[in-house]
Amino acid sequence: MREDELDRIDEEARQRGISREELLKRAAVAGLALAGSGGLAQIARAGIAATPKRGGQFRVGVAGGSSSDIIDGQDIVTNPDQARLMAGFETLVGFDKNFKLKFNGLAEELSPNKKGDVWTIRVRHGIEFHNGKTLGAEDVIYSLHRLIDPKLKLFGGAALSSVNPHGMKKLDKRTVRLHLKHPDATILDALGQYVAGIVPVGYSPHAIGKAKPNVGTGPYKLKSFTPGQQSVHVRNPNYWRHGQPYFDGVVIIDFPDDTARVNALLGGQVDAITNIPPAQVGIVNGRSGRKVLESPTAQWTPLCMRVDTAPFNDARVRKAMRLIADRPQMVKQALSGHGHVGNDMYAPFDTAYDHALPQRHQDIAQAKSLLKAAGQTHLTVDLQSTNGALGMNEGAQVFAQQARAAGVKVNVKILDSGTFYGAQYLKWPFSTDFWGTRNYLSQVAAGSIPTSPYNETHWPDAADRKFLTLYREALRTINRKKRYEIEHEMMKLEYDHGGYIIWGFSNFLDGYNTKLRGLVPGWKGVMQLNNFGSGFRTFWFG
Amino acid sequence: MSTVAAGFERARGIVPRPRGVWGFVLRRVLLGLLTLFLVSIVVFAATQTLPGDAARAFLGRNATPESLATLRKQLHLNEPVVSQYLHWLGGIFRGDLGNSLTGSQQPVTSVIGARIENSGVLMLIAAVISVPLSIALGAIAARRRDGVFDHTTSIVLLALAALPEFVTAILLVVLLGTSLFHFLPPVSLIPPGGHPWNYPKELVLPVIALVFAVTPYIARIMRASMIEVLESDYVEMARLKGLREQTVLWRHALPNGIAPAIQVIALNLAYLAGGIVVVEFVFAYPGIGRAFVGAVHNRDLPTVQALGILIAAAYVFLNVAADVATILVSPRLRTSLK
Repeated sequence: MREDELDRIDEEARQRGISREELLKRAAVAGLALAGSGGLAQIARAGIAATPKRGGQFRVGVAGGSSSDIIDGQDIVTNPDQARLMAGFETLVGFDKNFKLKFNGLAEELSPNKKGDVWTIRVRHGIEFHNGKTLGAEDVIYSLHRLIDPKLKLFGGAALSSVNPHGMKKLDKRTVRLHLKHPDATILDALGQYVAGIVPVGYSPHAIGKAKPNVGTGPYKLKSFTPGQQSVHVRNPNYWRHGQPYFDGVVIIDFPDDTARVNALLGGQVDAITNIPPAQVGIVNGRSGRKVLESPTAQWTPLCMRVDTAPFNDARVRKAMRLIADRPQMVKQALSGHGHVGNDMYAPFDTAYDHALPQRHQDIAQAKSLLKAAGQTHLTVDLQSTNGALGMNEGAQVFAQQARAAGVKVNVKILDSGTFYGAQYLKWPFSTDFWGTRNYLSQVAAGSIPTSPYNETHWPDAADRKFLTLYREALRTINRKKRYEIEHEMMKLEYDHGGYIIWGFSNFLDGYNTKLRGLVPGWKGVMQLNNFGSGFRTFWFG
Repeated sequence: MSTVAAGFERARGIVPRPRGVWGFVLRRVLLGLLTLFLVSIVVFAATQTLPGDAARAFLGRNATPESLATLRKQLHLNEPVVSQYLHWLGGIFRGDLGNSLTGSQQPVTSVIGARIENSGVLMLIAAVISVPLSIALGAIAARRRDGVFDHTTSIVLLALAALPEFVTAILLVVLLGTSLFHFLPPVSLIPPGGHPWNYPKELVLPVIALVFAVTPYIARIMRASMIEVLESDYVEMARLKGLREQTVLWRHALPNGIAPAIQVIALNLAYLAGGIVVVEFVFAYPGIGRAFVGAVHNRDLPTVQALGILIAAAYVFLNVAADVATILVSPRLRTSLK
């Protein structure tokens, strides 16, 4: 089934207030030729090819983790926290393997009014939390309140700034009416992010010893948890998705050390691991019974130029710096080739992404003439970086080498993270940083407008109101086609004048034992291992 | 100069100085406590009072004015340095090491309690194996000086001594865990709540790595000191009296040869307390080493301080124990204290 068809079905489903699956089911029952390209047959074939089996204890080694680990349906601190959240909690809507929004979550309906400022949320019938409570409207209201509570500073709260805390109303047992402060076309993205988990009324994971269990609606219940070491999860017998999950239990183990993690996979002590160092990919693939799963991401480690500070307040200097970057070489050296070339634009998975923007290539001659015109022939700049994510320090160093050809001297200063993220963070004139996979407008809210929590480049220029006007217009535009046009205009502004040098996107490199089934290569995930198997419910042992 | 010396003499006369072996032990223990006190100042100064804001370092990208203020209050960063230190030191004596800054903010004692057991078991097994082994190796090598055994052990031990323990650890994993053979687990996953002695297979590789790390030094000093003893007059005398060579070696020579080695044993066991950090990290062994690395990474000050003082205490304890043991095994020193 082609993507645009799925889109069309989603759109239709939304208008009718039902899910895509339901629409397909009804279509199939009615014998309608809805999927003209033979999509249904394709789905059926895939189903036959892989019949999942039940049973077994799945052990996964996740990179990172420490005593700062937490389990919270709406918050994370470390990488293993993401895996634990996925095992226990679910969102109203979700993303599929192409990073497209799907009505496959707890909500059977999530539809806007014409203007886009009032949304109706109806959750599915008969879903239970791990403690037996039936999911209802009051839980959705509580979850949203908790997400946007400024005191809790939860990870997912920033994207939901349009939600009016006094504008939530319970219509019936399963239905909530959500009044927004202003029309917001990104609300579905915000509710679909994995940290927007739905938790029961009164939920509070930190209330130790109180009768407030750490429960969600997810495929596995939490059995035990020791921060910095491991957590044990058991199958949720009342899980609402038919037949899932397949494992009896899941053990999520912290592995801060790369070597130990790979050794545990090779030695058969775990069934899958995340984050294989690029240098070890060959070793894992060369072993019988072990394989590397490579998935593209929209994660990026940009070089950030402050558009309001010399020398980068001159747009010619910014453009020259962007022309200095030899992106394919940066991906090859900084990411050992496990990534994709960037085009100074984020959100490549977004259907709104403008693929018509010409790919920027290295052009030293033009860079030199731009620098000359700006009076910066012998430019010397400090580039601050830290070991925050793969590609930050590496990208900075490769760029510094490339800059020499244009007569620009880049002094890479690698700081410890305390200093980097200290008082000077977001004030460095030239620095690296890292970002996860997001859609365009959500990313703008997070990093490209004055109210963003992490706007390294101080974009847009204070005198230029155009970008902000377009942004507000895009938020108000519920019609997808019209909104994409506005978003393309915004992207063009950033592509021409912005402060980011976005040279590439890194791939996830995960390893698994080949007895593990259900893994999908090329999954455009936000998290490793196919978003941790959507909570370890899509994997099974063959 | 002479008045000062006289003053000391008077002071000695007034304050009765404990004599004998027990007096010596008492003095060493008191000196050990003084050392620990000084160490506590260094640990505290190095973590909490150096330039740079400890609260900001911990919060990093998530720092907000409110969270900074809360954390500064929790760590007493707003108080004068001396009062911060006294607060912390007082806590140690009450068994209150503060709360970990991370996650659910549990007391440090409960965070590191199980870790101490795990590391303790690992160190103990390593010590129980490596100490007798290295003494025996050293003694036999000395007895068969310049023989095949002596040369072989010399070369092997030198090679092991030259390799840092993370290299030997990784070689062991490659050899026995992942690549050549597969009969031992390459990482030591001891689940929380489990006791390490219930997972003997998981202990093998880390124990071997630690034994390899300390045995060479002890064996070499043992060999040198035994050679000296075996050439001494009283050993000659024993041999002339017609005692069996085994008896001469183990009953008469060894007790004297071991005295210099005791200090080296203590230093190496103390080194285990620090070296265990690296070995635990390689094997993902849930001990204080990994906790220490994690705490430093997270800038979790209370945990770093607690583990720093704990490892220092292990050093001091082992050194005091070594001094006392040296006295007890050498009659000459023992009698000179009387």
